[in-house]
Amino acid sequence: MKKSEIPTFVVNLALEKGATDVVAELEDQQRVMIRFSNNEITVSKFYQETLLSVFLMIKKHRTATVLPVSSTRNLKKAVETLVKTAKVTPPADIYVPLPKGPFQYNPTLQSAPKTSLSPNKLIGYVKDGIDGALQEGAKKVAGTLIASKSKSTLCTSGQVYATQEGGGLELSIRAFVSDVSSGHSVSISRNEEGFNPAEAGESAGRIAKAAANPTQGQPGRFTALLGPLIFADLVNQIGTRTSAFMVDAGRSFLTGKIGQEVACDKFTLVDDPTVADAFSVRAFDDEGVPTRRNIIIDRGVLKTYLHNSTTAKKFGAETTANAGLIAPRPWNLIVQPGEKSFEQLLGEIDNGIYVTNDWYLRYQNYRTGDFSTIPRDGMFLIKNGQISASIRELRISDNMLRIMRNIRDLSRSRSWIRWWEVSIPTLTPYAVIEDLNFTKSGM
Amino acid sequence: MEELTQFAVDFAGSLKAEYAEARFQSDVKEVVILKNGFTEALAFQESKGISVRVVAGNSLGFASASRLTKKAVRSAVRQAVKLARAASKIPGKGVSMSECDLGKANVKVKPVIKFADVDLETRVQLLKEVDQCAQESAAKVKVKMPARMLNFTTWITEKNVVTSDGARVHSVTPRVALSSLLTALHPQSGIVQRSFNLGGTGGWEVVKEWNMFELFAEEASSLSRILLEAKKAPKGVVDLVLGPEVIGLVSHESSGHPGEADRILGREAAQAGETYLKPDSLGLRVGSSHVNVVDDPTVKGSFGYYEYDDEGVKARKRTLIKEGVINEFLHNRETASVFRVTSNGASRAVAYNREPIVRMANTFLEPGDYTKEELFEGVKDGVYIKNFMEWNIDDRRFNQRYVGLEAYRIKNGELSEMVKNPVLEVTTIGLWSAVDAVGKDLEFQAAYCGKGDPMQGIPVWTGGPHVRLRKIRLGGA
Repeated sequence: MKKSEIPTFVVNLALEKGATDVVAELEDQQRVMIRFSNNEITVSKFYQETLLSVFLMIKKHRTATVLPVSSTRNLKKAVETLVKTAKVTPPADIYVPLPKGPFQYNPTLQSAPKTSLSPNKLIGYVKDGIDGALQEGAKKVAGTLIASKSKSTLCTSGQVYATQEGGGLELSIRAFVSDVSSGHSVSISRNEEGFNPAEAGESAGRIAKAAANPTQGQPGRFTALLGPLIFADLVNQIGTRTSAFMVDAGRSFLTGKIGQEVACDKFTLVDDPTVADAFSVRAFDDEGVPTRRNIIIDRGVLKTYLHNSTTAKKFGAETTANAGLIAPRPWNLIVQPGEKSFEQLLGEIDNGIYVTNDWYLRYQNYRTGDFSTIPRDGMFLIKNGQISASIRELRISDNMLRIMRNIRDLSRSRSWIRWWEVSIPTLTPYAVIEDLNFTKSGM
Repeated sequence: MEELTQFAVDFAGSLKAEYAEARFQSDVKEVVILKNGFTEALAFQESKGISVRVVAGNSLGFASASRLTKKAVRSAVRQAVKLARAASKIPGKGVSMSECDLGKANVKVKPVIKFADVDLETRVQLLKEVDQCAQESAAKVKVKMPARMLNFTTWITEKNVVTSDGARVHSVTPRVALSSLLTALHPQSGIVQRSFNLGGTGGWEVVKEWNMFELFAEEASSLSRILLEAKKAPKGVVDLVLGPEVIGLVSHESSGHPGEADRILGREAAQAGETYLKPDSLGLRVGSSHVNVVDDPTVKGSFGYYEYDDEGVKARKRTLIKEGVINEFLHNRETASVFRVTSNGASRAVAYNREPIVRMANTFLEPGDYTKEELFEGVKDGVYIKNFMEWNIDDRRFNQRYVGLEAYRIKNGELSEMVKNPVLEVTTIGLWSAVDAVGKDLEFQAAYCGKGDPMQGIPVWTGGPHVRLRKIRLGGA
């Protein structure tokens, strides 16, 4: 059997065995990852996988599987096991049939630019990144380069059969001038034209150099200028917590807030996988529904959660084409830009802190949004509209809703961010947050 | 599968790789997700394939294949060698593997009760009943539990590791884990949440030992009391007693991670970060003489249990901090070679398509001599933090924060009222140096430790006894 025929085979077999609804998706993926540290390559990795995901319902009874593709016999066995299991699975709280196609998709979203996995070319990118950072004064450089390409084939019992190509280039690079002075930057792109490893390296190197000789930061409430890396992390939190599954599971500070003002009116958040130059472009979701641009927060007002067909029914809404078979998820988060330059934002802060990056964001309470996260890499004191000193060892300890409401301004320029700490590609500006709480260790 | 892993190693040799290691790994999982009392889904996951790691041209190459054929393995080996050779175009110090006594073994953990003998209906029913039990416990004091997430997973891992210098290790390990998030609500008092994990190696007998009904009733009761009774936590300098759950996390985050040799060498610098320790930090005092932190993969039944690591090295207990002094780092063969020591068997991968890297297994503070009562008796005015929700640590593993969930005031040696969200924000050396007494009890918690790129969440236990600390500043600075 050809690979492209496997999803249809699985769907038909499952229906024959008694399933009421079936989704089968076969994904073929190739990926090269080159990791580097101390200005040299530490390991180069190649992944090749063909995985089959199957989601199956007998009305309210659901099962799912992910397995490697092997023989027809094994596929039959897997389907039989799934149907058998679904029959004895206690019912979920709701049953919604899969959306009925066939649907029309935008073909330009279904294809992807070709990504080269040639080792020599990729190592050239790594070298460009390292050299860029060193030229700006970095002493040592570390990071990850990823090149990937994928093709998935989706078939559902709702008369969907469609293919989706994906892939792209990602560089995450961190430069050091000392153990405690570092800068981080990324470049991510679907195509080679938009990929700029040298610029990412230079940016990381510049931040690291500016961060040299840091002194202990002092705790307190400050006006904060957040760079794209840290603001993308916060926006990822907001986007992820708008999944209706998260809301239902008690993992969202946006529970019960549809129609309410949850952020400053300058903040508009969109999820959109239909933008051709976005990183994670998709023509359809995991139920085969054509993707669309969803305004999640419109000038501060929460407009919608992200839904698949099941969560939509439960919440009395329509699917937003964000399935995720069990949990809806955002594809590409986009923050609408502000009107000022970085320099203008900086110039308007009398006494504040500029944070370039963070990591380790953890909640005390997902429902209230109380959390803390740790600035890392360059962090700077702002005095009278200018960067006055490099500082270190502070923690942001605050509340997500408070931060959203305290957004004062956003920059005109935006960057695409994705790296180890930010999993959903996010197009984000710089952000100015009023009254952000910084703490530090007591001893 | 040994034939195929051996074939991979031999084929790498024929391509002039200086070192080759092949690993077949299969992880077959069964997952039950119960959300708010309803079965969200029963899921099966099968991850199965072979990986090969080579040293060629003085660089490290890794490739994996999900198809278990000689053709697919040959292609993976070629890719690994090709990538490693291409990498040597950027000059480096080179990679080598330390000399080690490598294993030839077959290690099978035999479950007392096989997972296959406990049908999925029984598992779902158990989860539904403990979920109900939690709700009833809270309802006694008019507290609601509007959201409950239980994620229950059983899985069997089979590995076959072969290296070009003689390791031959086959293992089969069954594991079981439960992740829970409970939300408690009282209209006048607000919302609190509790997240906790259970996990172990073995069969269904592990689940029986968890006493889940009692545990969920206690957790719900604790959340209810926090909502209804907890007063504002004190700020300033106090004496502190930390429970095993907190001490386990501290041991893992601020003793285990800083001592990972790959971090010390900067290999994780762009992802999980570096460490405040340096290659010459052995012998550095970081705590009081009461502090002995170990990492031991050989604890039977533990979530992080293994007898041989994924490079074929025999596992052993590692003493990371001995009487307050840095004593040993965690190594794989690559880092051991740089440090000119022998690997202490800390190399693990979470799946066939992941590179083995330096990992903790079961990290804990070793017990001392004090009873819990004796620890409290020595405190005139202090705070006891039993468990936590929020926590994090900087990427040098030096500045950390733990916000207590179930916590109490200690007055004149006795537990007094509950206090809300005491904040412990402290440095690694500040915390360990303040320890003046260590309890004789020992408890473990399950966790998934995150590290690597791609991320590898690997099963571990964290643990320790109750511990007393003097003159700790609560509430941050």
